[in-house]
Amino acid sequence: MNYRITMIFLNLALLLMLTTITGCNKEETTEGKKRSFLQIGEFTVTRKGPDFTEVRDGADRTLILIPRDAELPQGYTRHQIVRVPVKRVAAWSNFDVSALRSLGVLEEVLVGVIQPEDKWHIDEVKRGMEAGKIVYLGNSNAIDFEKLKKQQPELALTWDRSVIPMLNELEIPCIITSAPVAMCLNARMRYVQFLAPFFQRENEADAFFARVSDALKEIRELTSYALKEPKVMWGDIYEKRVLVEPGNAWVGELVELAQSDYLFEDVYGTSCIEISTERFLYSGEDADILFTYSSPSTGATSKAALARMNPLLGRIRPLKTGRVYAPMAHYSQSGDKLDEILIEISAILHPELYPGYELRYFIELPDIDPVIPGDQS
Amino acid sequence: MSSGHGTAKAAVLINAYTWIFDIRMMLQALTKKIWQWLGSIKLTIVILLLLVVDMVIGYWCLDRRTTIFQPLGDVGLFQWTSTYGLHNLLFTAWFFVLLGLLAMLTINTFICTTEKVITLLSRKRSFHLGRFWLRLAPHIMHYAIIVVLAGYLSSYMLADVHPGQTLVPGASLTIPNTNIHIKFSSYEPHYYQGKRLDFFHDWVIDPGAGLTISSSTVQRTAILSYNKPVRYQGYTIILKNFYPKKKGGMSPRVYINLSIRKDPGVVFYFSGMLLFAAGLLIYVFLWVYLKTEGRR
Repeated sequence: MNYRITMIFLNLALLLMLTTITGCNKEETTEGKKRSFLQIGEFTVTRKGPDFTEVRDGADRTLILIPRDAELPQGYTRHQIVRVPVKRVAAWSNFDVSALRSLGVLEEVLVGVIQPEDKWHIDEVKRGMEAGKIVYLGNSNAIDFEKLKKQQPELALTWDRSVIPMLNELEIPCIITSAPVAMCLNARMRYVQFLAPFFQRENEADAFFARVSDALKEIRELTSYALKEPKVMWGDIYEKRVLVEPGNAWVGELVELAQSDYLFEDVYGTSCIEISTERFLYSGEDADILFTYSSPSTGATSKAALARMNPLLGRIRPLKTGRVYAPMAHYSQSGDKLDEILIEISAILHPELYPGYELRYFIELPDIDPVIPGDQS
Repeated sequence: MSSGHGTAKAAVLINAYTWIFDIRMMLQALTKKIWQWLGSIKLTIVILLLLVVDMVIGYWCLDRRTTIFQPLGDVGLFQWTSTYGLHNLLFTAWFFVLLGLLAMLTINTFICTTEKVITLLSRKRSFHLGRFWLRLAPHIMHYAIIVVLAGYLSSYMLADVHPGQTLVPGASLTIPNTNIHIKFSSYEPHYYQGKRLDFFHDWVIDPGAGLTISSSTVQRTAILSYNKPVRYQGYTIILKNFYPKKKGGMSPRVYINLSIRKDPGVVFYFSGMLLFAAGLLIYVFLWVYLKTEGRR
């Protein structure tokens, strides 16, 4: 009897295996080619057919990209359908706006942003806002949804999950472009390849990735000659919280790749992750370089100014004997120049390898604020 | 001539029958050997050692690669294999090996246990009833493990999952292909007010999201929290994330992220767990009882 049972069991196992194998083969051969799949951190693009692409966004939501004239596929809700190429976009973050620029579609498709005109450093956006084509939709806490609806966007790129129900109500498809885990260097470089199918600009995305890859290769080669390994921290102390870039974030990976020591390498999680003050100060005792989130426009004009804003920060080594760098105002809107940014960070870490390099995205903070002649205060 | 032809024909037939009989005997012997090999304790030890090695490798592969493995629970085993799995084979190969090893362990456990149970049943009369159940209890636990594993496998293969469902207070959603509506009806977070973990002061420790769930027949309200999913008509509503996480956070906007799943595997692994618990209880109870009886 036990032989019979084993035969039945083995046959069932064999049948299951055969079904799996034939099932997999079928998937690959029905389209005549292998199904293409691209993973960019938490984001994915799966080409299921010439006119049918499935994407997964930063909030684990699945959306379907189909041609503008295609019939609605079955099994999906209307909020999941995006008609491509998308012609009108509302974008929440600077990062997404600069990604649109990398794809060469910014001027053509952008119709709404959540920063007023005077905060923009991208010419196309300024021009668009002046002409009235691009509209300021209000800040992230008070989006004017009526204005948004009037702009008739075919897609909203947002980091704010709380607007999803409202956008669903307005029948505006949206993708969440932030993820619970910080983007690694590879994901940061490839992010445009996630957006590309929405605008059918895959070639532009590939070209962007190739450009940044070349820059990275150059950094790797050049920094292999570095004699010193500077110790780096990236973050800030605020009134009630301490925020840093974790080791899994692209900046952490870049610092490590450029023959340097990232002091929050062991921290894992979301971008701008909160850590304890003690941990920040402990790492700060050894650090040579601090990249602060604060910019000169928010008061980070010198090391002394930073220490005045937060006395605890004054205890760390970069503020005493090291170097401190703050992002320039246009830094966060320069995602399309990622190759230049990566090279600049490498030049900051190893100035001896980049003689005569002039900073374009970061500013080195002086020890004290420069004295302005005639300023009595 | 014809009788000679007939004799030759008969000889061929006898030869053929003998040949078929031999093959049958060989197959039976082979099956017996396979059966014995698959059910041997040596194989169990080899599989368990391989499992340890594989899981150590898995530990390194899992580290900081949640983006590869997390979608497995959402998209299912087949789709995950053809996308994330094959795309990241360097980091996922251990998982496929794990599946193979677990399949082998299941077969091994099943055969080994079945052998023992058959023997035990055939000698049932020679045992005292208590001793019989004491000997049977470990086998019940072994079968329970198989049921639990089968449950997890069916979970990853057959579950209907709707991840990334976001709700703000007052908003509602409909579970696709059903008439079940979920409304985020109230939000009453509980904040940490203790003194021992000062860092967590004013952080939300229980979001207490109130849901009103309705279909054409029934309406009910329930409070959703971490580790406290809400079950409704075969669907499980799981809280994946919520905001704000603390009092006076950067954004006052309230929202919850849900994952909704209908999982046929749940029945299996809960049944498996019950079976295991029953086996364990029988074993412990009878072991203590028989020991006490023996002393008397």
